[in-house]
Amino acid sequence: MGFCQWLGETAFSKHLREAPYDFPILIIIHIVTIALFGGMVAMGNLRVLGWAMRSMPVSQVIGQFRPWKWTAFGLLLVSGGLLAASDPVEYGGNVMFWISNLLLLIAGLNAMLFHFGAYQNLAAWDTAAEVPVGARRWAGISLALWITLIFAGRAIAFF
Amino acid sequence: MLLVHFLQGVSEAPPLNPIARWEWVFPVVEAIHICGFTLLVGTIVILDLRLLGASLKTQPISRLAKELQPWIWAGILIQFTTGPYLFSADPHEYVQIAAFRNKMVLLLLALLFHFTVIGKATAASADSLPLGWRRPAALVSLGLWFSVLLAGLWIGNL
Repeated sequence: MGFCQWLGETAFSKHLREAPYDFPILIIIHIVTIALFGGMVAMGNLRVLGWAMRSMPVSQVIGQFRPWKWTAFGLLLVSGGLLAASDPVEYGGNVMFWISNLLLLIAGLNAMLFHFGAYQNLAAWDTAAEVPVGARRWAGISLALWITLIFAGRAIAFF
Repeated sequence: MLLVHFLQGVSEAPPLNPIARWEWVFPVVEAIHICGFTLLVGTIVILDLRLLGASLKTQPISRLAKELQPWIWAGILIQFTTGPYLFSADPHEYVQIAAFRNKMVLLLLALLFHFTVIGKATAASADSLPLGWRRPAALVSLGLWFSVLLAGLWIGNL
């Protein structure tokens, strides 16, 4: 809490909080990149689940989306971080803010587990419409985590 | 007198519509609306990026469009269920908000553009042709959906 108070009193945080356009512009960037990032996460996971884009190799769907996903994710982190920095005392005391961050961390760990786990023997199931159950389980969990994160993120403004 | 009492009772009774009755219903439906938006616009963005030659370049455009189509429809279904329900929370208020009316017009334009111009741009007969006019068409599509989102955010004054 001491850190939140210190950050909230810096000129930078005050500027974000009080300048007329900073907060709305950050919200716009945050929501636009949710559509870009979320759409590709959804279609990538749905491909692994075998529910979408079945005619395309998994490696191609995931590989082609990767640069866009990372760009959008970077913008999401920066815009989200700046939104939090605009009122750190408020967000620091908001339980949904911390739940959102925890979900983000779990979703990130889950993606890493997939990348260094099932994805390593991709060659065996790259073009298969039916992906092995281990990889599908990962995709289902990933989809559920990101959807929950949207709910938790929306709830930050409610609490 | 009985009638007056009855009418008073009606006007003072809690509203029957859950979204107007409990304050937590609105943000929950709104979160579903954000998920639906992500699905609808996210899949359209993937298609637009292909039309720009910026992603999935080796895939035939018509096949990608065909595979994305059911998910675009799923997104439309979610949005056309949650949207009107959010509207029902306070219809008199919404029709007076300029951003709401703008959003409806922009949404109509974006959908029309998608099902006419983008439909034509993703036709199988065009697969072997150079991208040509389809690049600017994809940019117009991206611009239209961005403006729908912007107007939507504006309804809640951001």
